Amino acid sequence: MTTRAKKPFRFYTTSSLVEITGQKAYHLKDFIKLLKTIDSSCIFYHIHHSFREYTFAPGQYSNDFARWVEEDLEEARLAERLASIDVSEFTDLETLRAKLVEFVEDHLMSAVEIRKAAPGREFYFLRGTSIITPTRYEVNTLDEFTSALEKVGMRSLYFHFFDARLRLGRKTNDFSNWIRQELGEPEIAVKINKLDPYFITMDQLKQEIIALCQKKDIKMKAKGLLGFIKNIAGNK
Amino acid sequence: MAEVKLKDYAQITRPQNFEEIMLLADRLQGKTVKMVNSTKDGGGVAEMLHRVVPLFNELGLNMKWETIEGNAEFFDATKAFHNALHGKEVEITKEMFKVHNEVNDLNAKKMTFNEDIVVIHDPQPVGLIQMKDKSPAKWVWRCHIDTATPHPQVWKHLEQYITKYDASIFSAPSFAKQLPIPQVMIYPAIDPFAEKNRILTKAEIDSVRQKFDLPNDKPIITQVSRFDYLKDPIGVFETYKLVKKHHDCVFVYAGGAASDDPEGTAVLNELQERAAGDKDFRILLLPPFSDFDINGLQRASTIVMQKSLKEGFGLTVTEALWKKKPVIAGAVGGIPLQVINNFTGMLVHSVEGAAYKIRYLLNNPEVGERMGEYGHEHVREKFLLTRNMRNYLLLFLSLQHPGESVIEI
Repeated sequence: MTTRAKKPFRFYTTSSLVEITGQKAYHLKDFIKLLKTIDSSCIFYHIHHSFREYTFAPGQYSNDFARWVEEDLEEARLAERLASIDVSEFTDLETLRAKLVEFVEDHLMSAVEIRKAAPGREFYFLRGTSIITPTRYEVNTLDEFTSALEKVGMRSLYFHFFDARLRLGRKTNDFSNWIRQELGEPEIAVKINKLDPYFITMDQLKQEIIALCQKKDIKMKAKGLLGFIKNIAGNK
Repeated sequence: MAEVKLKDYAQITRPQNFEEIMLLADRLQGKTVKMVNSTKDGGGVAEMLHRVVPLFNELGLNMKWETIEGNAEFFDATKAFHNALHGKEVEITKEMFKVHNEVNDLNAKKMTFNEDIVVIHDPQPVGLIQMKDKSPAKWVWRCHIDTATPHPQVWKHLEQYITKYDASIFSAPSFAKQLPIPQVMIYPAIDPFAEKNRILTKAEIDSVRQKFDLPNDKPIITQVSRFDYLKDPIGVFETYKLVKKHHDCVFVYAGGAASDDPEGTAVLNELQERAAGDKDFRILLLPPFSDFDINGLQRASTIVMQKSLKEGFGLTVTEALWKKKPVIAGAVGGIPLQVINNFTGMLVHSVEGAAYKIRYLLNNPEVGERMGEYGHEHVREKFLLTRNMRNYLLLFLSLQHPGESVIEI
């Protein structure tokens, strides 16, 4: 028998308007000063924004700090450490900031030279204004949930999967939370929470969540990213 | 410009992104918006407004577009401002500032601003902000110019006006300044239905190939750029020489010839001199309004280059990616946002690097094909006109909630 939730799940979506702070860093000494003092919404933006967008390069560092350190300062070790920060482990931005600062300070303690980014390739601190809107999708059952998830955009997926951790201050996502509490499916909830979004696209993440809800085994990665893109294009 | 409807964009934009536009527009039904710039004809801004104003109205906003009036002296002054903001050395006089102020004063007296939102485009009409106190509107200044290294006096002159706006929009982080008002970033975008980007038939592409006497049995590597040292035309020629040692191919450098640009003429002369007698390095001088030919050239190409040494955003890269071409480009300005190294193209830092990567792609065409597919999807997601419209809708919504970083509507 299909379990019906007492409290329906409403899909929301979030869009970000990007604001330029005018603050920029030429090298890591500038960078760390700003990192320590800059508005936490900047930290949130640079760590999270790539998850809101459709990406074609899974495996590429997902946060802007790691990318800048790798591509423009060519400090591979620090870039690797910064990239290793897993957003799912943080439920508040100040702890996240402290971790970033720790990695950069460690690096500066042993750095033999301070590399400077080329002109025009400085790190520009940005921040996002999040605009949250309810979508028209409200669901009561697991079937309705997967059907709606198929239709909503990746920014809705982002809102419920990533943003929820910081919003709710707990180490889970909205989907797992609702599926566990309202549908009594703890196993699915745990599996969804364990998905690794770092090396797959958001569309692949969505398909994996749907497959878990349908208790199907999918081999999305085996099909290759190009086939996946063609599939999406074909579906339009 | 043929009228293109929202439903046409719905066919091209990813469905979820299109739905989001509808969702945001739903919250702005009936809002009155006025766009103001200096001309209805010519230039990227007018082209964009011709397209988006009817689309915003179709979405349920009530948007108007007006232009300011000015004399030749005014437009000479604002052209000088434009070049000076780009960092070019031009003579700026006090008289120019005076004319700029006077023409803005005259226009301000003639125009009304009773809308909810007013968006002023570029420096020409920036002084209309003097009407803010007599208007209920939120005022936004949209800067379409690369202001990374502006002429200090010109910037100071504009700043006195800009700081009075409720918000400003810049195309890249490096163009923004330290200002007391919010500076929103909206990347430039291309219109997939514009003559420069619309899908061409094979016959149309062949007609362009024939017009410029280009072969159909050899790879074609193209760069579309002004004749400007910062676009590295000489570097493109040097790249050609290195690639030509291994591959029978044709390079095309296609650019516009502006009669009032002495530096451009000098660059063109030097390039022509170096490439003299080399039949497979083609220099094409395109007249204004060559959008169809540019479209055809890009689509006829195997690889597109943009070996710039300095770049604003690099919309020619966006155009090429949209046409599913692998792009070999300098890692400068806005190019790395578009060319994700080894995914949508390859970033290079030297002539040797460019030649090496082109040889790699000529030997491995399937890699280029895959990059082309990724590039097309990358642009679909991030650099189409619809994304630009979404950003405007977000900005319009945020103007109703100043200072809030999370807005629930």
